[in-house]
Amino acid sequence: MKKFFLILALLVMSLVLIACGGTDSDSSGDNTSDDNDKEEGTKTEEVELRVVTTMAGTDPAGEVFQAVLDDFQEENNHITIVNDSQSADAGTIRTKINTDFSSGNEPDLMFYFNTVDAEGIIDEGKVVSLEDAEGVDLSGFNSMLEQQRNDDGNIYAAPQSGFYEAIFVNTALFEEHGVALPATWEEYEAAIKAFAETDIIPVAASTEDSYYVVEHYALAAGGMEDYKKDISDKPASWAEALDLIGEHAGLGAFPQDAATIDLAMAQDMFKREQAAMIFEGSWFWGQLEEAGLGDKVTVLPMPIKADPSETGSIVGGASQAWFISTKSYENEDTRDAVVKLFNYITSEETILRIAEATGQPPAKGELTDLPAHIKAGHDLVTNAPAVELPINDRIYPESFTHARTNVPAIVFGEKTGQQVLDEAAELAE
Amino acid sequence: MKGDRLYAVLFLAPAFLIAGMFLYYPFFENLLQSFYKTDGFFNSTFIGFDNYIRLFSDETARVATLNSLELIVYVTIFQVGFALVLAIMVDAIRRGAGFFRTAFFFPIVISGAAIGLMFTLIYNYRNGLLNEILVSLGLERVLWLTEQSSLYMVAIPTVWNYVGFYFVILLTAIQKIPNDFYEAAKLEGITGPQKMFKLTIPLILSDLKTCIVLAITGTLKIFELVYIITRGGPGDSSEVLGTYMYQKAFEDTAMGYGATIAVLIVVLGLLLAFITNKLLKRDEVTY
Repeated sequence: MKKFFLILALLVMSLVLIACGGTDSDSSGDNTSDDNDKEEGTKTEEVELRVVTTMAGTDPAGEVFQAVLDDFQEENNHITIVNDSQSADAGTIRTKINTDFSSGNEPDLMFYFNTVDAEGIIDEGKVVSLEDAEGVDLSGFNSMLEQQRNDDGNIYAAPQSGFYEAIFVNTALFEEHGVALPATWEEYEAAIKAFAETDIIPVAASTEDSYYVVEHYALAAGGMEDYKKDISDKPASWAEALDLIGEHAGLGAFPQDAATIDLAMAQDMFKREQAAMIFEGSWFWGQLEEAGLGDKVTVLPMPIKADPSETGSIVGGASQAWFISTKSYENEDTRDAVVKLFNYITSEETILRIAEATGQPPAKGELTDLPAHIKAGHDLVTNAPAVELPINDRIYPESFTHARTNVPAIVFGEKTGQQVLDEAAELAE
Repeated sequence: MKGDRLYAVLFLAPAFLIAGMFLYYPFFENLLQSFYKTDGFFNSTFIGFDNYIRLFSDETARVATLNSLELIVYVTIFQVGFALVLAIMVDAIRRGAGFFRTAFFFPIVISGAAIGLMFTLIYNYRNGLLNEILVSLGLERVLWLTEQSSLYMVAIPTVWNYVGFYFVILLTAIQKIPNDFYEAAKLEGITGPQKMFKLTIPLILSDLKTCIVLAITGTLKIFELVYIITRGGPGDSSEVLGTYMYQKAFEDTAMGYGATIAVLIVVLGLLLAFITNKLLKRDEVTY
């Protein structure tokens, strides 16, 4: 027994020594910092800020964003920024943000989805209302800022740039096969039939990962008024849209293995010029330019079947925006630094700098000298009679997943659009 | 003896602590979450057994359970079966045993994600390896991943990935059998197949049982190969409990329901391991 207590005492002593050692090293670090401040003759305290964004991985904005942070740190020697960005792929960013906020480890500043994803964070008061925050500059934004207004009347996030979704069309393939570009629903169906008879896939799509396909068919089937409806309304046009996907699959619109490939493989088919069309978002331009297809591709709005005069309305907006965490704002040590960084990042100069890398429409100012294909996309937004956020940004995630992942069942004739819609609506209840 | 017990407690304490923190506590939390409608973070409502009631009426959960059980059958028969055959064959050869041991064990060191990606590229309809070979031979492309075939196509890489693991366990077990047994049997005039069925297999039965239990519980946890190769599709045809749990918990942020599926996986695993142990219960052979 004596041996046991002896070993226990040794363990405790080792832990105490390690702990004391840690304190010593920390305090010596603080002293050095104080000395430096004294040497420089300033009283500015060192501040560390953590920033979480989705500008990482294959996002062309990642490199530019890091350069922006480097420049800011150079101008503000006392502020150190930890760039904790990670790719938005596979929804892992949602888990990360939710975990950070629910465990009290929230970032000081984050660029996140101001959609149904941020509802919990906003409801818990974890982010500040920007209009009420002292020192925050919200001037100079275009209409994208107003799109961020929450149901409670406050603005919790400031946009950086917008996006749009559309049909990306390989004009060279259309020209080569003598097919008219799909400006109307009839032309869209004619293009599907024409390409289905060739070795070219009409629409590169995954019916399992059918986010953009479902959205665009819903827009086409019911127009913008129906598109804006909630799933609880069970719009008949949404059911019709799902059935139309099945019908077009029967015409050979999608790849043979559409039910098992993912979005990346569908994109790959389009980039290899094995497909004539793809439903994608403005972020896709980066990949197309890398594949050397920028000049061969143009964007077109989804033709509206319900009311052709509505064609031009698009899915888009600014769903990602900058949030300041309440914890950081209410901490006197970090408040000034985080507000300063927020204003720097949302300044017109920085917004345009990042937008230049992505080709997305900026939330402040305007991009000049754009390549023709990028400008065509910006014109699409400018000329759109209506722009609305994607369906999955505003409905219960389980409902949308159910509708999306059941598209193959509709294609195989196992379910009808109405049946899938009813099941999805039931999940939302 | 008393001192030894103290040392045992002392040395086991870190393992217990880590297992408690990272295994038992999360499992308890998971069990708790299965009684809530929650996204796991901010929204949480106690709903009693509603998630369990939903689980029993959920058609996709039913399909995923049946698919998981079907996969268990394939994996157990082929993984452990191939491993046994390979182990007996490698044990029988005099030259090159080291090479074959390395070659058969090799797939186990490749990550499941890499194997998944590799088989995705093999099965791909438009640009896949198999169809490129068919096209170069002047044949038509074949859709390898259909509603009827997808589960088999997922079972192939699953078997291939882990066969080396069981092969090594069984080969070690076979090599532990004293040579005297075989020499005595040889004098009695034993034939090759008789040697395998009447000597080798009965003598390694406890190791085989371990392999079967590991194969069953391991298959219940299968996720990455299915997720990468078929994403559970087409439709629900290759959905397994692991992929369905991931979809519900992380894609749909229905963490409570995802936790309920996780409980089902644990219960099924324990139940199947228990049944296997009961069925294969036999006196241990010591030598």
